[in-house]
Amino acid sequence: MSELIQNLVLGLLLGGVYALAAAGLSLIFGVMRVINIAHGAFLVLAAFITYTLWHAVGLDPLVATVLTMVVVFALGWLTYQALVRPIRTAPMSSTVLLTFGLALVLEGAMGEIWGNSSTAIRPSYADESFTLGAIFIPKAQLYGGLLAIVVLVVLWLVLTKTWLGRAIRAAAANPASAELVGIKVSAVAATVFGLGIAAAGAGGSITGVLYPFVPGSHYQWIARMLAIVVLGGLGSLNGAVLGAVIFGLAEVLTSAYVSPEWATAVPYAIVFAVLLFRPQGLLGTRLREDAVMA
Amino acid sequence: MNTPRRPRSAPGAAGTPKGMNAATKTTDPVRWVGRGLVALAGLLLVCFPLLSDDIYYQNMIILSLVFAVGASGLSIIAGYAGYISLGQGAFIGVGGYTIGVLATKVPGASAWWWVPVAGVVGGLLALVLGLVSLRSRGPSFVIITVAFLFLVQVIAVNWVSLTGGTAGVTLPLPTWDRDILNWPFHYALVAILAVQLLMAWWIRRTKLRMGLIAIREDETKAATIGINLPVEKVIAFVASSFFVGMAGAVYGYYLTFIDPRGMFSILLSVQIVLALLIGGKASLWGPVLGAFIIEPLNEIANNNLGGGNTRLFLFGGLLVAVVIFLPQGILPAIEELIDKARNRGKAGLSGARIGTGGSLASLTASLTIAEREPDAAPRPLLEVNGLTKSFGGFTAVDGASLVVPEGSITGLIGPNGSGKTTLFNLIDDTIRADSGEVRLAGERIDGLPSWSRAHRGLGRTFQITRLFGDLTVLENVVAAQRSFSLAQLGRIAVSGPEASAAEELLEYVGMRAYRDQKARALSYGQQKMVELAQVLMLDPKLILLDEPAGGINPVLIDRMGEMIRELNSYGKTFLIVEHNMPFVLGLCDPVHVLSRGRTMASGTPEEIQADPAVIDAYLGDDFLLDAAADTEPKVSL
Repeated sequence: MSELIQNLVLGLLLGGVYALAAAGLSLIFGVMRVINIAHGAFLVLAAFITYTLWHAVGLDPLVATVLTMVVVFALGWLTYQALVRPIRTAPMSSTVLLTFGLALVLEGAMGEIWGNSSTAIRPSYADESFTLGAIFIPKAQLYGGLLAIVVLVVLWLVLTKTWLGRAIRAAAANPASAELVGIKVSAVAATVFGLGIAAAGAGGSITGVLYPFVPGSHYQWIARMLAIVVLGGLGSLNGAVLGAVIFGLAEVLTSAYVSPEWATAVPYAIVFAVLLFRPQGLLGTRLREDAVMA
Repeated sequence: MNTPRRPRSAPGAAGTPKGMNAATKTTDPVRWVGRGLVALAGLLLVCFPLLSDDIYYQNMIILSLVFAVGASGLSIIAGYAGYISLGQGAFIGVGGYTIGVLATKVPGASAWWWVPVAGVVGGLLALVLGLVSLRSRGPSFVIITVAFLFLVQVIAVNWVSLTGGTAGVTLPLPTWDRDILNWPFHYALVAILAVQLLMAWWIRRTKLRMGLIAIREDETKAATIGINLPVEKVIAFVASSFFVGMAGAVYGYYLTFIDPRGMFSILLSVQIVLALLIGGKASLWGPVLGAFIIEPLNEIANNNLGGGNTRLFLFGGLLVAVVIFLPQGILPAIEELIDKARNRGKAGLSGARIGTGGSLASLTASLTIAEREPDAAPRPLLEVNGLTKSFGGFTAVDGASLVVPEGSITGLIGPNGSGKTTLFNLIDDTIRADSGEVRLAGERIDGLPSWSRAHRGLGRTFQITRLFGDLTVLENVVAAQRSFSLAQLGRIAVSGPEASAAEELLEYVGMRAYRDQKARALSYGQQKMVELAQVLMLDPKLILLDEPAGGINPVLIDRMGEMIRELNSYGKTFLIVEHNMPFVLGLCDPVHVLSRGRTMASGTPEEIQADPAVIDAYLGDDFLLDAAADTEPKVSL
């Protein structure tokens, strides 16, 4: 029984981290209808940057997260301006191919810079845990999960309580009209791209402490995050959080009670099943397709 | 969006504008140069093993052939139907595994027997992916194909008893002379590529391809002109993978060792997509050209540039660059340049006057004049009963009921947002109704998909025209499919009886001169005319017109009215949504009035004009004053 509770708690904490990573993907899709396949690569890149800040500079990895977020925000902003913006009007599949290509380039770059062997961030508390009766909660897991929730709440506040947030939602709802009322849509879009990738970056820093990683890890990450946002409903932030929690629990429970080998198939199976049976996801709404698009 | 460019209506502006270089196509020197190059390349490919015994180049050519089959297959589904797949490599892998597993489990037989079996397995797997595509399109589909590839890989890793897991499968070594070791692989792949290209070439000319391109351009619209979406997509998926499975089997045999990492590598799929994009998505030879560019690059990256990370840089970077700078691909880009150079200085068709029509032999020839008792009430052709559709909390159509008598021109009017277009969408299943009944000629059609409704005689135009912009005017019209049969899909679309029927209809709507223009180049009014011809190609009993007179000039409005009357005299029934009151009231009888998703009044134009409820809800008091003031029909521009 206590083992189950422990797994549930771990699943929830992991879900928080997943939610943070996937929220950025969902945000980017919601505002500019771009499915950023490079999201996983940015996440792993952030893990490597945090690794360097910890290993070479000696910063605590969870503190370094803030710095990492700034760096990947800038990278995201640049990516939008240099790559995504020129093909804003192209069909959506083009941006999928483009960001896929970017993911491969980032993978190659990380391999060149940090090498292709397994890397791990191990702060002093990596092996310590809190004990609560029969339940063990590793410290890294707890700190990481809490930090993820804090960043997620900040992101949510930015989106709902600030002028920027309203501008973002206006640009998402109707770019042409947003432009008419004085919102610079392309500037907003670049900011959103940066914010989304910064969120993934925070997720990357935290998971870098929890699991070892290699440049090629980004395939698993993008598969996970896609499964989460597709499950929750593309473009819905609440959906991403819900999807992440379900997914985190499912993953912890599958590898604990079924088999870790088949657990790798879980995200792909979820993507397949959801897109087949409920393409709008749990909280997404089906777009009205018949309305006149003028 | 569509700024209506009005055709000049100077009286007597004579002369039919010349069609694009249609007549010169067969004797075109550029075309012959192209054919010569293709023949030369083919010859080189066939003779290659005789000319060179360098294993490095033999290997490069064999892999290029595998890529070429993969990319050419992909062009059918990605180029024509617009479903870009990053899972194409899965079929090569599955082909390889089919031959690997069967050759080791059935040791007696020659491994070559399993090559066609691998094609069948690939085709069956594509059937599954095709079924998936019925539910998702665009980016979700690309994601699903990646998930598909990884899922197949995970299965190959974990189904150890069949696949040997990560350790892989080792095939029996070839038994023939070592001197010609690679020859059988080379020629088997050349043969598979030849058959694949032959199939692609044949598909290019058929109605199937028109249907697929229509699906790429606008799936919902495609369904309304009778294109059976699931069947055509599934056929395309199977066609796009059958020969790829076979090529995968030859590839597997050639490697003699198969493991999940190599066979289901995402990079393989990326390279196939790259080959397709670089060469030209929808062209016949483009994917082959692309394959013979990408594979050698791959070898160079592997052998001279350090492999691994460099390959990722190279192919990732190429993918980014191609999407941004060369979205149409090399061959189409060259074609465009040649076209531009040749047409420089030639006047376009813009501003040419729309023709005034011709006869309708194809419609009138098959016409049987129905014996109608003058006194008997006409049979209802379309009956709508209690049709309802809600979007979230908003009920757009709320139990609407109406009847369209056979042989009538029925009008449907109502304020903006009263649910007229939504009602049309429900009648032709562009969106599915929540509840209610639709009968066409007595038969219930509310459970049927759009294309079946079209096959039963329902045609429909859209308020904002929805032509397939990248197709020519003629292709737009022949894309319509009157009925569904596999034989019809195989019919040649761009020449022969289909094309001449389409030309006749274009002549009728006055758009024949624009036959070879891309539909997107036409003005809004011209598009309306072409869309009408497209719908007529279905030979429908009932035609729903959504604002036929909206946004077009007065001359064209008159012509539209004339055509509707004439078609009606040939037995076509119409249901027309229109805001131009003089147009509706002069043309239609009966007229239904829709308000808040319900039919609030029905009757003759006179009854409707006099109905106080209608005046209050829609026409307004001004309408009566205006109508009293001038006897001339008023035309809204």
